[in-house]
Amino acid sequence: MNKLLIDNLVVELRSVSKSYRKGSETVDAVAGIELTIQERGMVAIVGPSGSGKSTLLHMIGAMDRPTRGEVLVAGQAVNRLSSGELTRFRRQTVGFVFQTFNLIPNLTALENVALPMEFNGVSASERSVRAKTLLERFQLGHRLKHRPRELSGGEMQRVAIARAVANQPRLVLADEPTGNLDSRSGQIIYELLQEVSRERTVIVVTHSEELARLADRVIHIRDGHLVDGPNSGHKVVSVTP
Amino acid sequence: MGMIILGLRNLLRNKVRLVLVAILIGVPFFLLLAMYSIGDAMQRQTTVLNENVNTVLQLRGRGSMGHVNMVGQDRLLPQDTLEKVRGIEHVRQAEPYLLAMAPITPPNFVMHVGLAPGAVKRLESHGEAGNPRIIAGRDFMPEDAGQDVAIIGQGYAEWAGIRPEDVGKATLTIDPTRTHPAIFGMDRPTRELRIIGMYASGYIFGDLQLFMPVETFRSIYGIDQGISWLFVNVDNVENVPVVAQRLQEAVGDVADILVPESAAVFTATTSQRVTQLTSVGGILAVALMVIVVFFVLLMIVRERAREIGTLKAIGASNGGVTTQFLTEAVALTLLGGALGLLLFRGIGEIVTGRLFALSIGPFLPSHYRPLFESLAINSNLSASTLALVIAVAVLAAVIGSAYGVWQAVKLSPLEAMKHE
Ligand SMILES: Nc1ncnc2c1ncn2[C@@H]1O[C@H](COP(=O)(O)OP(=O)(O)OP(=O)(O)O)[C@@H](O)[C@H]1O
Ligand SMILES: [Mg+2]
Repeated sequence: MNKLLIDNLVVELRSVSKSYRKGSETVDAVAGIELTIQERGMVAIVGPSGSGKSTLLHMIGAMDRPTRGEVLVAGQAVNRLSSGELTRFRRQTVGFVFQTFNLIPNLTALENVALPMEFNGVSASERSVRAKTLLERFQLGHRLKHRPRELSGGEMQRVAIARAVANQPRLVLADEPTGNLDSRSGQIIYELLQEVSRERTVIVVTHSEELARLADRVIHIRDGHLVDGPNSGHKVVSVTP
Repeated sequence: MGMIILGLRNLLRNKVRLVLVAILIGVPFFLLLAMYSIGDAMQRQTTVLNENVNTVLQLRGRGSMGHVNMVGQDRLLPQDTLEKVRGIEHVRQAEPYLLAMAPITPPNFVMHVGLAPGAVKRLESHGEAGNPRIIAGRDFMPEDAGQDVAIIGQGYAEWAGIRPEDVGKATLTIDPTRTHPAIFGMDRPTRELRIIGMYASGYIFGDLQLFMPVETFRSIYGIDQGISWLFVNVDNVENVPVVAQRLQEAVGDVADILVPESAAVFTATTSQRVTQLTSVGGILAVALMVIVVFFVLLMIVRERAREIGTLKAIGASNGGVTTQFLTEAVALTLLGGALGLLLFRGIGEIVTGRLFALSIGPFLPSHYRPLFESLAINSNLSASTLALVIAVAVLAAVIGSAYGVWQAVKLSPLEAMKHE
């Protein structure tokens, strides 16, 4: 591998397995996965229920540790980070988008977006400006002072995406971000994630083949193994410099 | 915002619960304040008792009760005992009393006491208790010395048919010739005394006495010389043994010396009991707060498991999560403390008075009651009370929330991923 290629990799999985104990037997949720993901672009992870999609995503996001193998994100071996390093990793390198939105209910949209910046030590004035700019860019300029319960599902998820990118992470992870939305709102969310993916890597777990088609790359997973599927190779993306 | 502000804002998320929890914490705080003020009152009480009770020795004629007309008990202290006693170092005051018994409707008798108008009106057989409360008329004044006036106990007055409104006009006839199995008659003319005051001691035998100026007593009973009882006031409780020793040396051959041991023991045990009771009450109150905080925090952490996971996923540190929940717990207990203080200010005096009476009632001889009542429970907001409330609030919050906070810190960010 030449240096340029290494620099372009944002995620690298080396023989990653994750096993769970269920009584006396062990279940391999993810088994011996080798995977590299390039800087920028949208990657969809698809596969049947229980195939290990979420498990894979959690390991990439350092929410879960692999049983075997190594996960490298932005050059860091995330399974070996200390608790302090892990906190910094979550603040700076990765942003999460949840199926259930997970906005803090008693904070306004603006405050929700500003929160990760505050954790990251951004000054009050700067984070307020940045949060406002982000929300306006996501067509939520008229919802700054609204609380989550005063927003629609689609609006909540847009606020959540703004929050995920607030600290300009290299990686955005989303597990079925449209699972709780109607198809119209889902469509908007996917377009937004696509837009976000021009500047950073977005990895989306989804059941929807239709939405997977918008992705630059689709990873198929079955019984914890990667399988070849249509559109599984590296697609040449126009935004790649 | 900061985790502290976030914690404070979280308080308002469930207002019904906030009010409920504030009450649940406020009531033990009220209890704690009540216990604290009782302990405080007890402290002051003990000081008063130590000054006034434990420092008084009583002298009586050797082997005699010292009552001028009591069968076999009429030996008095020689008159010069007074001079000898007053010469002893550390003696602050020596008050001579003369006592006679008078029969009333069988089978009781009453006590006639002669004393200097300014002397403490002690109750027979309860010499420790100080001046009983005057409920009608007035107390003695210096010019009453040698006059035919008296202050009567309400029990005696009732027997004699003297009502409080008669005080000042009513008279009582003293007849030294009357007898009783324990009382011998004295061949003296009767005397009419004008009743100038009436007292109540709250104690049935204590109320069966008549106080008169000592010169009046001497002329009624024809006692020119001698002293029934001599109360010796020592300047400090520590000097009591020394004074007792000196008294023994000076007048031991003619006098029995009663050292206030029993009073000291009584005071010590009573105050010890009250202190124990208030400490137990205080500890229970704090324990109650801790338990309330414990369950509330556990409930909150369970409710907000997903939110805590989310906060971690977007970069909150363990310290941040701890700060947030600790802030919420401390704010809750402080709010409860404020409510407890408010309650205490409002109804503390009444309730605490009752509690006080209830808590020490069983240990308290009734003649102490006026003394205790004279010491009002202090429900004022002092700096030390405020400091106590704040310290206890923080302590209860930290101890009570420790487990909940630990649970929150332990939560994995994966909690954020779970759906229903
Ligand atoms: N905490 C756990 N304990 C035990 N088994 C688990 C745990 N998490 C996941 N599994 C198992 O691992 C396998 C993969 O689970 P995973 O959640 O990754 O699937 P998924 O592809 O995300 O499914 P879905 O599309 O239904 O979300 C499943 O068989 C699941 O039962
Ligand atoms: Mg899943």
